[in-house]
Amino acid sequence: MSVSFDFNTPTGRRAWLRELLAPMDEAKFNALARILFAWQYARVPAFARLCAAHGVSPKNLRSWQDIPALPQQVFKLEKLYARGLGQPAAIYETSGTTTGQPGRQFLASTDLYRAVALANTARPPVAPLTFMHILTPSPQDAPNSSLSAMFGFWTQEFGAARTRFWVKNNSIDFAALRTLLETQSRRGHAVGLAGTAFSFVHLIDAWADRPPLRLKRGGWLLETGGFKGRSREVSKAELYAQLAHTFSVRDVDIYNEYGMSELSSQAYTHGTNGNHALPPWARVRVVDPATGRDVRTGQKGLVRWYDLANVDSVMALQTLDLAEKTHTGFHLLGRLPRTEPRGCSLSAEDLVDGSLEGRAPARPQGPIDKRHGRVGRHACRRPSKKTVVRRSTATV
Amino acid sequence: MTTRQRIDLLARAYPRLFPRAELLRLVREQLGHVDALDRWILRNGRRVRAHAPESIYHICAGNLAVSAQTSLAHGLVLGARNIVKLPGERDGDAATRREIVSFIRGLPAALRALIQTDRVLDETALRRAQAVIAFGSDTTMAGLRAQLRFDQKFIAHGHAVSLLWISEPDKLTPRQARACAIDVLTYDQLGCLSPQAIYVPAATNIAALGEKLARALEAQWRALKQKPARSLSVAARIAEVRDVAFARGQPVWLPPSRHLGWTIIHDADPTFAPSPLHGVIILRKCAEAKLNQALRSVRGRISTVGLAGHWSSRLENTFLSLGVSRFCPAGRMQFPPLTWHHDGHQTLAELVTWIDAEGRA
Repeated sequence: MSVSFDFNTPTGRRAWLRELLAPMDEAKFNALARILFAWQYARVPAFARLCAAHGVSPKNLRSWQDIPALPQQVFKLEKLYARGLGQPAAIYETSGTTTGQPGRQFLASTDLYRAVALANTARPPVAPLTFMHILTPSPQDAPNSSLSAMFGFWTQEFGAARTRFWVKNNSIDFAALRTLLETQSRRGHAVGLAGTAFSFVHLIDAWADRPPLRLKRGGWLLETGGFKGRSREVSKAELYAQLAHTFSVRDVDIYNEYGMSELSSQAYTHGTNGNHALPPWARVRVVDPATGRDVRTGQKGLVRWYDLANVDSVMALQTLDLAEKTHTGFHLLGRLPRTEPRGCSLSAEDLVDGSLEGRAPARPQGPIDKRHGRVGRHACRRPSKKTVVRRSTATV
Repeated sequence: MTTRQRIDLLARAYPRLFPRAELLRLVREQLGHVDALDRWILRNGRRVRAHAPESIYHICAGNLAVSAQTSLAHGLVLGARNIVKLPGERDGDAATRREIVSFIRGLPAALRALIQTDRVLDETALRRAQAVIAFGSDTTMAGLRAQLRFDQKFIAHGHAVSLLWISEPDKLTPRQARACAIDVLTYDQLGCLSPQAIYVPAATNIAALGEKLARALEAQWRALKQKPARSLSVAARIAEVRDVAFARGQPVWLPPSRHLGWTIIHDADPTFAPSPLHGVIILRKCAEAKLNQALRSVRGRISTVGLAGHWSSRLENTFLSLGVSRFCPAGRMQFPPLTWHHDGHQTLAELVTWIDAEGRA
């Protein structure tokens, strides 16, 4: 494909989007990846430097798999915004949990993010629902949250009157939510609930003494995000079992969304042990960090994303998310644990924790993060093996 | 068993790690006399004798076995009963745990009889011990302190960092470069005596220095008989720090085959930031006058400063004001003498109490 796309103009971006949403085979993905790579290479200096260090340029690129992936960490250290795009229309913030500094994703326009977020809603089946309850702040309340933005797009598309954001002033009115869910279920409406895993655990805790809700068949739950440094840990299996009980839904009716602020696309799975499915315009490789090559099926490696919808910064992102390569794709295992003991040797986290003399804690404290509407921040919407929850408060 | 007998047994089992002469010097330096634990000795015309704690609870960190071995050796020299809480169940702990257990097995039976190991923290034994020596994070130390009785001796080795200072990098000899490489690669950089950064004067030709150090690190890596394993987690951290540096345009030196043994990165920001370890060393330029500011975040936590080259009193004063507890030549950072004041502590003297016998009336 030798077509050029002008990502600076709405027309050019619409043309690109049409290509993404049209049928996509491997050859077309490769061709589009080359186009986007060349464009970003010329306009995102940090990306170009990384590629140069790996000896890769648009001139010698053989395949999309050879495109070096930028570590997520760089979003915290550099402004990754393609030159010439003008003022960003949105800035989505990521975690500040490790360095005390949030990562930032600049978008020239939310057009592509919106379009792919909507195109992806076949899984979970958002559209046929009559009501949707979202356990995050609204985009107005959390303008730097890509998660709130995504749910906001769903709301606009599928009817604001039938959708409600439940996190207001950092808290959820559990009683009102329960009453409404009971009423809607009694009337036979299919209901969906979407939010952070953390907020779902709050629901479970708040309703622990109540009988299970009986969501109508066709209803679903969508959880996203893992948690660091919180007090209560819930394994994914335990969380799903508790959710299935609390809402009377099947395990397969519980979805996980795997996305992050640094990307525009998301992967979805459902059920405790499901493999994440990607949209046609995105690819994930599970790589051995020592070699950068794909691991063999059945082996563990790191998730490396290639997202053709991520036009304004970089299309190739190296995460520290652990996954097992499967025959059909990948099975996400959660954030790479810091398993290496450092003992008395100081780490970056220790400095950020502010545990040393004269240093104030840099990490905002709170049960839920800014990305999800509170003072804290969270890196990405990845499921974690351990979902860690601060139990003592009903505030989210 | 007397102190001398215990020292003989220990030194015979591990002559390189615990040479007899050094053990004797340690006891003599800190207790005033090698026999101070066994009989009355005369000090300033007064008879005194040292009393060792009956039991010491050692809490070992998972990063390094040698600190636990040394702590245990101190307990054995004192003749205390030693309860050793082994590192936990995390991936990286297993190797350290095996090393500690193997060390204990290598001791003669008479010394082994003074040792008991715990896989999990035995809170009763912890509270019953007369002294507790612990290695780990500040959080671990704070948690332990909260569990102890007021009259228990507690020697806490919390977070610390170390660094190298090269005073004249442009004149760095291959021998000095090798010494720096030894400091970086010994114990896979995992201890608090391992340098996490190399500081050099602001006018340094960083490209030339990087080349010299890279050659030395590669030679040292090749010379390592047992190369440290690179788990997926460690490989991920190393790959990440390299790619972040590339993306930021920082000069990076890698092994010719890009193996994960060592990495040098020049960060133009002189402010100290911890390295991911495992052979990743950060070069930072900093004028002597600005060191105080650059190291402010670790003030009071700098264990060792290794020095390659000339040592000025001004520089020494700067580091002293930052609370550095040990200076040594490059190449010796990981090998302090047994008489070293670990984190400023008198390792034996702080564990004993004294009995005085005044003259008859």
